[in-house]
Amino acid sequence: MKNLKRIFIYTFLSLAALVSIFPFLWMLVSITNKSVDVTQGRLLPGSHLVENMKTLFETVDIIPALTNSAIIAVITTLLTLLLASLAGYGFEIHRSKGKDIVFNILLLSMMIPFAAIMVPLYRMFGSISDTAPLFGIDSLAAVILPTATTAFFIFFFRQNTKMFPKDLVEAGRIDGLSEIGVFFRIYMPTMKTTYAAAAIISFMNSWNNYLWPLVILQSPEKRTIPLLISNLGSSYSPDYGVIMSAIVIATLPTALVFFLMQKHFVAGMMGSVKG
Amino acid sequence: MKKFYLMFALLISLAVLAACSSGDDEANGASGSEGSSGADSITAWAWDPAFNIAALEKAKEAYDGDVEVKIIENAQDDIIQKLNTGLSSGTTKGMPNIVLIEDYRAQSFLQAYPDAFYPLTDVINSDDFADYKIATTSFDGEQYGLPFDSGVAGLYVRTDYLEEAGYTPEDLTNITWDEYIEIGKAVKEATGKNMLTLDPNDLGQIRMMIQTNGSWYVDEDGSTPNLEGNESLAKAFETYKKMMDADIGKIVSDWSQFVGAFNSGDVASVPTGNWITPSIKQAEDQSGKWAVVPMPRLDMEGAVNASNLGGSSWYVLNVDGKEEAADFMLQTFGSNVDLYQTLVKDIGALGTYSAAAEGDAYAVEDEFFGGQQLLADLSTWTDEIPGVNYGLHTYAIEDILVTGMQDYLNGTELTKVLENVQAQAEAQLK
Repeated sequence: MKNLKRIFIYTFLSLAALVSIFPFLWMLVSITNKSVDVTQGRLLPGSHLVENMKTLFETVDIIPALTNSAIIAVITTLLTLLLASLAGYGFEIHRSKGKDIVFNILLLSMMIPFAAIMVPLYRMFGSISDTAPLFGIDSLAAVILPTATTAFFIFFFRQNTKMFPKDLVEAGRIDGLSEIGVFFRIYMPTMKTTYAAAAIISFMNSWNNYLWPLVILQSPEKRTIPLLISNLGSSYSPDYGVIMSAIVIATLPTALVFFLMQKHFVAGMMGSVKG
Repeated sequence: MKKFYLMFALLISLAVLAACSSGDDEANGASGSEGSSGADSITAWAWDPAFNIAALEKAKEAYDGDVEVKIIENAQDDIIQKLNTGLSSGTTKGMPNIVLIEDYRAQSFLQAYPDAFYPLTDVINSDDFADYKIATTSFDGEQYGLPFDSGVAGLYVRTDYLEEAGYTPEDLTNITWDEYIEIGKAVKEATGKNMLTLDPNDLGQIRMMIQTNGSWYVDEDGSTPNLEGNESLAKAFETYKKMMDADIGKIVSDWSQFVGAFNSGDVASVPTGNWITPSIKQAEDQSGKWAVVPMPRLDMEGAVNASNLGGSSWYVLNVDGKEEAADFMLQTFGSNVDLYQTLVKDIGALGTYSAAAEGDAYAVEDEFFGGQQLLADLSTWTDEIPGVNYGLHTYAIEDILVTGMQDYLNGTELTKVLENVQAQAEAQLK
């Protein structure tokens, strides 16, 4: 009876795993096939890998796009970690009369879809384009700033800070650390797992962000990788082998970041649930 | 306390809404495009590197002005998103000088942003272009678009499959859709292949059918939905159902499956726009097995064997450099016959500039299509396409029709279905 239950559970889990992994498998198989084979749904690996890669690197500026995406994602992630954790720490540790009201207003802002603020944002960046072109439309800074910290991450850090032993703050103060010192020397090292989880989420969000970069970036040399892939699919007769190759390359960095921080990530997520 | 929160929530949403709508007058001033001149570079947006972008490159080569032309490739949906955001924000920063817009969408852009486009009425001569393109590229008496690629449709057929069933391409020339279905049944019986692909989410098939009879989803005014009581549409729906009932359609759900179906030889014909030619030719092993015949027509008085699917035109935006951009357009796509010859020869891009349709390049015999003078044929059919005003809501109405079609296929009565979609369209597009 116990065995039967086991078999059932394993079959179910294997099926579920297959369903979630199949798209990735198909993607990996497709980079070795010709476009015609991909459209016909061929499931076996082919011999076209080298040609696909060659076409990709010769006809598409994938390296600059990867560089742009990397710059944006890394800066966004660093800014997010710093700003959101400072805010989360402040909201939880410090006492103030109005903090819960401010925090709730902040949470309300999570309910506004990005599409609703996109036009005003575009207008804002457009109005500074002449005086500060480095921050105006078609600049990497314009991609980073609106996404550099969001209510979600502040919420995330505040929830996790609830588990942070406040005695440590007291101890630090008694030992003569400044408020900033407490944050950097005590809080940050203790909250490593939370930082790791936030880093992964922020990096993935930024790396995959499509709508805002699409709207704000204009020159081809500033394109990020999702924009480049969208372009590849725009033709009347797209080369699916090459598109799949680009997608695989675009997936690698997020996968890498995830596997590097997986252990912390899981711990961080558990923490936030407990909190 | 609760009240306090509620008030705050309200305040925030109000602030957001206000930000979306306010300050239009200010925006028009800020664009500062009046009386500008002397731009030394202009930007053009288009999609598809093998087709529109390639055409722009050729135009750039043919152009001998001092202005540098920057060609930027964006996917079509991306262009729409970027234009909508940019134009509705009221700032012209980051907007291109020249942009390619699909004909089905042109009217809604022209109506939503009347000052954003630069009229070409005095720049080009609209009589030089195929008639059916003018209605969709002009607005309020002004010519805004420079008509570019023709979406002239043809029926691409597999001659080998037809032969197996005892037909020649001549048997499919100038037929009605009803006759097409009969042939489809015979072909399926003889070869086991489906006659065509059908995508339940893309009613391009219906669009092509009703245009053969000069009809569209909307009235002449371009905005009143014309669905209930539209005989052509009713006929097209009936024909679509007949195809389903006869089981001659292979159901596909996206572009890659559509291309895959004919590349792998699963269907005996492809009724669609001429821009599909490169995709058909992708399957090199099928060379010599294809021919293109005129589009079947609806079995109605007045319907012709010519239709259109897609097609797009160039627009000049009302931003700094508009004079230069208009001049570039005039010198290239607006008057250069040789350029059109190059486009046809090197890219297979079929323009709608009438004077260009007689050169040698059009008479080339295409081996892939068994030596047919494909481009000459297509350009003859272009002249016969009934002109219709695509109006503002082609895709919005089509979304409604897609569900209507499902109801109809599931057994709801046709008059009832059309009544429903008419009511929905009227409610939604008010």
